[in-house]
Amino acid sequence: MDAQKVDMFIMSNGKFFESHQIMGIRERLLAMDDSKWVMISTIQFKDPTVSLIVSILAGSLGIDRFIIGDTGLGVGKLLTCGGLGIWAIIDWFLIQGATREKNMEKIQQFLY
Amino acid sequence: MITERNRLYFFLFLLCLGGVAWLYRGISSSPGGGPVEACLIKHTIKVPCPSCGSTRSVIALTKGNFIEALKINPLGYLVAAIVFLTPLWIIIDFTTNRKTLFLFYRKAETFLKRPRYAIPLVILMLMNWVWNISKGL
Repeated sequence: MDAQKVDMFIMSNGKFFESHQIMGIRERLLAMDDSKWVMISTIQFKDPTVSLIVSILAGSLGIDRFIIGDTGLGVGKLLTCGGLGIWAIIDWFLIQGATREKNMEKIQQFLY
Repeated sequence: MITERNRLYFFLFLLCLGGVAWLYRGISSSPGGGPVEACLIKHTIKVPCPSCGSTRSVIALTKGNFIEALKINPLGYLVAAIVFLTPLWIIIDFTTNRKTLFLFYRKAETFLKRPRYAIPLVILMLMNWVWNISKGL
């Protein structure tokens, strides 16, 4: 794919991924066929900042986990009052990384 | 795939172990099944959360008071089922070297994501929440 397009994608979507994943994504995109550009550029990613805000406000109900697609863990948090409050607090620090991992899983379906 | 399975099992096992420990603490510290509070929401805004009272409900269940458990919080039945059945399922999966629980977990996740199942469940949960607040748990 065109380097300019790839760099544009990285610039606008870099915040959705872990920093160590970005180089790998860039290389895969460069090696990819141009016809996939439309699909790649229209993927909707989850914003880590939004999930952090939701986690702080409604983490005890597990809504942050529901939002990023971890339904099973969300139910777990909901049923245990956010893991007796402990899990909810731990998730304030984990949820951004978890969101980025989910985004990586999502883009991987298109990359490989 | 195997490491992913083991990670989930480890986490679930830890969660259930924590649940059993919490239950033991609840039973031993308050023989009458009195309030055991640890809920963030309840502490901050003084309103019970949807699953407040499930500890009391499970304690009532272990004593055989099924109606009382239902009256405190019906979610206690679900919590009790998960806490006591999941470790057994994990042990069976480990001894027979299968991943039935992992596959079930994945299936349940996709099942719960469908709006036609998710919306009624959310409404049920909200109704339970309103009931919890009106009961003043």
